[in-house]
Amino acid sequence: MHTIKILFFATFRTRAGMSSMELEIKNGSTVGELKEILVAKIPALEASLHHTLLSINRDFAFDEDVIPEGAEVALFPPVSGG
Amino acid sequence: MKPTFPTIFSITEDEIDINKLVEQITLTSTGAAAIFTGMVRGKTTREGHAQGIAYAPHDTDYLEYEAYIPMAEEKMKQVADEIRARWDTIEGIAIVQRIGKLYPRTPTVLIACTASHRDTGVFEAARYGIDRLKEIVPVWKKEFTPSGEEWVEGEYMPNKND
Repeated sequence: MHTIKILFFATFRTRAGMSSMELEIKNGSTVGELKEILVAKIPALEASLHHTLLSINRDFAFDEDVIPEGAEVALFPPVSGG
Repeated sequence: MKPTFPTIFSITEDEIDINKLVEQITLTSTGAAAIFTGMVRGKTTREGHAQGIAYAPHDTDYLEYEAYIPMAEEKMKQVADEIRARWDTIEGIAIVQRIGKLYPRTPTVLIACTASHRDTGVFEAARYGIDRLKEIVPVWKKEFTPSGEEWVEGEYMPNKND
């Protein structure tokens, strides 16, 4: 097991009701597995998870990617800057 | 030896100083700058769509921007690197996103590219920069209108090359 930091932005911050949390996950867990864990913990996230962008250590990550130890993970909607 | 070309990127709550930014990316060899800036639109007259949802003409009171600052700055640097990989004529690049509560007519974003001449791809480079910023730089805005507030969501889903 290892601890990761999760950040929420925009709609995800509103839905999660917090801007960050720490979570203990199994070694070798993937992004897809993390999403399942998060939905179980925070059901309000489920509606938006099919349209989620996720980053690991400030780079875009995808369902099959393994989350490295101590990672900074962020969840957010497609970007709308400019 | 090729000179070192300036690249500026930042997320800021301060006013965007266009003159200062252009000056910072102007070299003695520079003869052209293409500057794009976007501002808060108070009146939207054309129909559009975001995330497959149509929106009608409407008024905007203000926008509230937020960013995942460390990643946004890394992605801005990536946009600048992509510009340089496509147009080796580009000299300086400035990419700035303002965040916070911003009212109509206020500049919110700037991308400027400089080159020796105007026919070097400098216009296309600035256009590419703003388009990429709107795809991969993690910034979001919440729109406040007379009838309520709503997060604006983009459409672009990044892939492994982003």
